[in-house]
Amino acid sequence: MTAIQTEVLLQTLISGVLLGGLYALIALGMTIIMGVMKIINLAHGELMMVGMYIAFVLFSWLHIDPYLSVFIAAPFLFLLGIGLQKYLINPVMKVDSILPENQVILTVGIGMVLANLATIIFQSDYRQTPVSYGTKAWYLRDYWKDSPVDISLSMPWTVSFTMALLITAGLWFFLTKTDMGKSIRATAQDLDAALLMGVNVERMRVVTFGLGSALVGAAGCLFIPIYYIYPDIGGQFTLISFVITILGGLGSTVGAIIGGLILGLFESLTATYVGMGWAPVGRFVIFVAALIFIPGGVASLLRSRKFGK
Amino acid sequence: MKHLSWVVAVIFAFTLFAVPVFAADTFDLVIPLPLTGKPAKFGEIMKRSYELAAEEINAKGGVKGKKIALSFEDSNGKPETARAIVEKLIDSKKQPVIVGEYTSSCAKAVAAVAEERKTPYLVVASADDDITQKNYKYVFRQNQVNAHYGDAVVSFLKEVVKPKTIAILHESTAFGTSGADAMAKDAASFGAKVVLREKFENGAIDFKPLLSKVKAAQPDVIYTVAYANEAQLIMKQAKELRIDAKLYGGGAAGFAIPEFIKGAQDAAEYVVSATLWTPQLNYPGAKAFADKYKTKYGDYPSYHGASAYAALFVTADALNRAKNWTQDGIRDALKATNLKTAYGPVKFEDKEGYQNQNFHETLAIQVQKGEFETVWPKSHASKPYIYPVPSWRDRK
Repeated sequence: MTAIQTEVLLQTLISGVLLGGLYALIALGMTIIMGVMKIINLAHGELMMVGMYIAFVLFSWLHIDPYLSVFIAAPFLFLLGIGLQKYLINPVMKVDSILPENQVILTVGIGMVLANLATIIFQSDYRQTPVSYGTKAWYLRDYWKDSPVDISLSMPWTVSFTMALLITAGLWFFLTKTDMGKSIRATAQDLDAALLMGVNVERMRVVTFGLGSALVGAAGCLFIPIYYIYPDIGGQFTLISFVITILGGLGSTVGAIIGGLILGLFESLTATYVGMGWAPVGRFVIFVAALIFIPGGVASLLRSRKFGK
Repeated sequence: MKHLSWVVAVIFAFTLFAVPVFAADTFDLVIPLPLTGKPAKFGEIMKRSYELAAEEINAKGGVKGKKIALSFEDSNGKPETARAIVEKLIDSKKQPVIVGEYTSSCAKAVAAVAEERKTPYLVVASADDDITQKNYKYVFRQNQVNAHYGDAVVSFLKEVVKPKTIAILHESTAFGTSGADAMAKDAASFGAKVVLREKFENGAIDFKPLLSKVKAAQPDVIYTVAYANEAQLIMKQAKELRIDAKLYGGGAAGFAIPEFIKGAQDAAEYVVSATLWTPQLNYPGAKAFADKYKTKYGDYPSYHGASAYAALFVTADALNRAKNWTQDGIRDALKATNLKTAYGPVKFEDKEGYQNQNFHETLAIQVQKGEFETVWPKSHASKPYIYPVPSWRDRK
């Protein structure tokens, strides 16, 4: 392998890991909602869009850095998620209907309302937060003059990735070490048993939906320095997190993280060695392959090796 | 049953009120446009420009004494929606002429309906060559075809840059593909070898894998055809990877709107792009239109806006000259168009295998100090071009 080929491969792997980490954070929110509620939240991408717009508004009016607005957008989306669950989804869960999954349909409706509200408020313009460090990068050759390969590491991508890691670690801590986290996991594992053990299942549902929304809202803030927004942006991220949720194993957080990394790396490698136009095809190949060969997702593989939960 | 009779009564009452509105002294023109969805940004620029044009035309007395009453229908950038809208306009609203749409895929769908129903259709800003190559009698196109979009950039490359190798990146849409095809063909004419040709999906986030491949190929020129955001993401990430091509070129659309400079910031500097129109041109009314648009909406309009603005004048001109306002009457009048507009001279010709196509001069613009400057052809230049461009490492 020549130096230039090595460089391309390394650069591709770096891109894949960075992208995968961000994908994982987006999918985490969907997967914990999936675990507890047993429904796919199809308004997921739109909730991310709300988070992005919060970061955008704070940046353009108050000049708050998008990374700081994580701390504003996440609580806001937590409350929004709680409200949606309490006043819209819970009532629908109680109603008998011909369709068994009408909460899922409701989430589609919520997504549409959010996207159209954003169109009314912000118009359909493409917006971005032109941060001063937007195109900053670190180069290997700047630090090591005679390096045979020149690798670059984009500053906003790296910062976003690191923050995604921290948030994921925080979530892990919350789910494994706190009372409420344990109750959420109990509800996800066995609803009836949790109920019998005195877990307030109703409340766990509300908190979980809030938590899932907060996570994806945070992801939105991390995405905006490297991407852009417009009101209809949600759909593509709903799709990505859906694929990762299936790949990772429905409801599994570890599975979602691994699934995110797999998808990120897969997309990068496809872009380099097959062609970037194939990325959407590849995504669906993964999706279908996961359903056929590992219907339980990565999580089921982990479980069968007695590794992780 | 009681409810039903109320409903009937209300509907009846509405029809009574509605009739006089239709009989008013206006010419109703409904324009299909993408106002939501991905291409909404361009739809909005065009909507505003149509409105400015309608105001001016109406202030001067309208067409044959009738005021133009504009309204818009959102096609969402989806061909099937665009098709349904236009079918409705022709079949039930009996609108004798169709103007509008933006994406090539939508325009294609609309053109097929218009031709089938023998209704003249004026294409405003859709570039795919195909649209006016199908021997359609009723389809007219005001903007230049994709094969010629890059003409000015090509002549700039030929005379100034003289590249040996070129990499072509394009999005996987009708517009992106035909733009890339055209450049691949032109590259042969100035003796450059296409070392890499890659497509990418709309909405992609990470271009770095693709760009590292470009970097490894070390082309003299990197030419990209993309809508709005991909253009700025590619330039930003090219800067991050320090890909030093002799020149970055763009095929209009995403490289020629103000958002490109706003989003890509310093990474946009020195990029040369094709465009069909700039506010700096000396066509009659060009500057006036651009200034009016800027005072009202805060930004200069892109060529999409200028083309939309001029399209309404072309339509009004045809309506004024038409013997009668039947579909064929308007079609014949459009065919005979010879009008000087803010967008440039408009004349529909049959040549090079195209029908009813307006061939106009294209331009090359370069980003200099955060502004678009017209640099090529020299007769239209507002500033001299900057070439060779400094390497990324040497830029401050």
